[in-house]
Amino acid sequence: MPGTADEQSVSVRVMVNDRAHQLDVDAGEVLLGTLRDRLGLTGPKEACGEGECGACTVLVDGGPVASCILAAGSTNGRVVRTVEGLAGTDELTTLQQAFVRHAAVQCGYCTPGVLMVLTALLDDVPEPTETDVRRALAGNICRCTGYQQIVEAALEAAGTVQS
Amino acid sequence: MSVLGTSPDRSDADAKLRGQAIFGADLARTGMLWAALARSPVAAGRIRAIDPAPALRVDGVLEVLTSADVPDWRTGVIVSDTPLLAADYVAYEGEPVAVVVAESRAAAEAGSRAVAFDIEATEPVSTPEQALAPGARLVHPDWNRFAVAGGADIGRDGNVVAEVVHDPGDLDEAFAAADVVVEGTYRTPRQYQAHLEPKMALATYESGRYTIEVSHQYPFRLRDRVAQITGVAPSAVRVVGHHIGGGFGAKLDVSLEAFAALLARRFRRPVRMQHTALEERLVAPCRSNAIVAVRSAVRRDGTILATEVEIVSDSGAYANNGPALSSIPMFVFGSIYRVGTARIRTRNVYTNTAPTGAYRGVNGPWLVFANERHMDAIADALGRDRRDFRLASLARDGDLMRNGQRLEEVSILREAFDRVEGVASWRDAVARSSQSAEAVTDVLRGAGQAAAIWLTNPMPGHATVKLNEDGTATVITSATENGSGAVATGLRQIAAEALGLAANDVMVTMPDTDATGYDAGSQGSRTTHVVGRAIADAAADVRSQVLDRASQMLEAAPEDLVIADGVVTVAGVPAANLTLGAVAQAATWSDGPIAAGASYVTPTPAHDPMCATGMLITGWPTPTYHLHQAEVSVDTVTGRVTVDRYVVCQEVGRAIHPDAVAGQIQGGVAQGLGFALCERVDLDHGRYVQRTFKAHGLPLAEDVPKVEMIVMEHADPAGPYGAKGAAEPPIVPVAAAIANAVSDAIGVPMDTLPITPEAVLEALEAEPNGEAVARAAREPVLNRDGEQRRETTGRAS
Repeated sequence: MPGTADEQSVSVRVMVNDRAHQLDVDAGEVLLGTLRDRLGLTGPKEACGEGECGACTVLVDGGPVASCILAAGSTNGRVVRTVEGLAGTDELTTLQQAFVRHAAVQCGYCTPGVLMVLTALLDDVPEPTETDVRRALAGNICRCTGYQQIVEAALEAAGTVQS
Repeated sequence: MSVLGTSPDRSDADAKLRGQAIFGADLARTGMLWAALARSPVAAGRIRAIDPAPALRVDGVLEVLTSADVPDWRTGVIVSDTPLLAADYVAYEGEPVAVVVAESRAAAEAGSRAVAFDIEATEPVSTPEQALAPGARLVHPDWNRFAVAGGADIGRDGNVVAEVVHDPGDLDEAFAAADVVVEGTYRTPRQYQAHLEPKMALATYESGRYTIEVSHQYPFRLRDRVAQITGVAPSAVRVVGHHIGGGFGAKLDVSLEAFAALLARRFRRPVRMQHTALEERLVAPCRSNAIVAVRSAVRRDGTILATEVEIVSDSGAYANNGPALSSIPMFVFGSIYRVGTARIRTRNVYTNTAPTGAYRGVNGPWLVFANERHMDAIADALGRDRRDFRLASLARDGDLMRNGQRLEEVSILREAFDRVEGVASWRDAVARSSQSAEAVTDVLRGAGQAAAIWLTNPMPGHATVKLNEDGTATVITSATENGSGAVATGLRQIAAEALGLAANDVMVTMPDTDATGYDAGSQGSRTTHVVGRAIADAAADVRSQVLDRASQMLEAAPEDLVIADGVVTVAGVPAANLTLGAVAQAATWSDGPIAAGASYVTPTPAHDPMCATGMLITGWPTPTYHLHQAEVSVDTVTGRVTVDRYVVCQEVGRAIHPDAVAGQIQGGVAQGLGFALCERVDLDHGRYVQRTFKAHGLPLAEDVPKVEMIVMEHADPAGPYGAKGAAEPPIVPVAAAIANAVSDAIGVPMDTLPITPEAVLEALEAEPNGEAVARAAREPVLNRDGEQRRETTGRAS
């Protein structure tokens, strides 16, 4: 029941992909679980569960966060964006389109997290160097691609943003 | 215009980029239960008692099942040695002992942790050496009662799961005639697939049949294995495939699915299971650890007279596919390099460790590591340039491999050496390494090469191609898209090419064993070649049906019709045309809908069936050729290896989708670099040391250089438009090329993987004058006159 949180739960008001949610989350609940199990947003992926692989990455107030280790209760008043909120129902973003062109998606399980990290990077650093891109990806494991096509997609997207 | 050799968008890219693609681990069903396994905490021991009571007290837990509650027969792909739940004894840490069913995932996992075991731990058989030691405890005391598929004699004996022996019997003479005998022992650890999506299963039981929804590389094997375990006919199991979040071989066999199936039947509710992060690591079917001892008899002119190879690989606690993989040394040693005669013995042994299995390239990366480290050792012993020695030793077209199979186009490899030289001069690379060795510097540079021949998996496939009434086409197949793009682009392009369509006008189904013909899954680069061939054949049939119908409609002979860009036109009469949609519509309502199916399995190449005992893989079909060249810098202060340049020359038959081929090469090299330099999978008394994801040390974006690629095309007449396999082999030569380059740089043979900074520093410490040693090692063992016969022994690091 909204607003009837007991000791085991925490009431949070959180904006997710431009929609406000009032949620009672369990004390031990992580944001990834809230997004996937309560809000049906399965774009952020469950993988290592230790905040090491990056597949669960979402943006919290614009910054990339491993949602598998972030307490859902700590998101009160925060703005969360998941991969579903990048393009919404519109055309793919410039970055996403670059991923298509560069064949930067293989199995696709790391892709949602990688996109969030690179989206944040391009917001912060509009003209990143290759080193900037590779460094930004330090928390994202991609076992399929060997990263090259991802890096090239990010650099092309940055160039497109500039032009 | 041909769609081959272009790189159209993947059919799954949009959904994957939007987070819309539903992977196995995203699946849920209304009313589903969750189950979780309670696993052995010890590597070996006798089960005295299992107490489910603490688990049953967990809120939401419905039932705890132990071995007495499930089928008690042992099963397996080759050797039926694996119980569903351990009954009397446990043979590895992580072996399933009980299964807990609950109303929620949290309850199931809490329940699985609460099951109380009384296990009398015994000292595990931790290593292959221990397993083979005289008087070693048997991992399975009743090994002799396990059935082998087809009753095959695979040389089982106690802890030896399988033994493959090739012994032409003429080695002693060759060794007696040698000027030099070069020896080396090459040791490699396990490698963890590290696919990001955990293994999972969702099972239902309705009307006497199981349905398994899963992300799996080989749905038909899964169907057969679930049937084998649950004791039903394969037709009573339906497997439906979903997007796969990486597999790399780890998702080729059954894991959780049979448990979920039995529980779905017991509770008449959908049952969902999924590995926890720790379970993923504890029971992943890693690439086997191995020890390869190689000894070669060499003449002073560089002729290798004979090679003797002794291999021990670790099967872990159960056989899995180890017996089949034990044939592969037959295609690595004495294949691309002439070795006169060879004796090759491979033993795959039981230990009290998690069972090993298939990982991209299976045992190729460590066999090629041994073979190519050994080639460098011989070249150094003879004082020969390592590239020149390889070229001089290269097999020639018409030579036979150890199984008697003729190498039809090994000359491609000679071309590969030329092509690599064209972009990255070996002489220059070697000159750089010598220069830096002479300069006073903390950075040593080195270069290395490694070559390989690899197969395209021949196993069967089937596809149906139907022409839709709007002129598009659908390919119906259970080929699995593991990420490579073989299904999401390659198969669609092959159908499009045959039917004169754009790639985007071809749809392809997800796997469903009820709906499609047999398919042997995404393994060994087989999808583009085998399923692609079936599609090409089916599409040719569809095309002739189109031409028949259109020839009636256009009143022209079929041979005068051209199909392009979705339109059938009478040649030379552009106005006389029909869209494929119009033809399909007309056909559907007259002769009937246009569709055709075709099957393909690659024939086994001609070979000598008596070449070895215990061989389960007898031929090396649709071979492809590979040359890798690495240049590295080694920081002698930190021990860190930096890959300065990495060049791959790979022969693929025909590159259907060049960007996807590039992605496979870059990704394969990245995994190979991990195996060579940084990834860790260590065992301590049978238990894995690495308990967190991070501890495995997987390569990150900053660790992997851009790979330079040369893609060679030598069309295979049997392949679809000439295509062979491309995805698996880029991982195979990497560790060898890197180890050769690092050994060259520091002047110490690096014959053990991984070559971590600690290993480099240790090697340099053991050889304080590493650079001097390097040059000394390159001094020939023989003087120019070669009168003295001396022996040299490759030193293990």
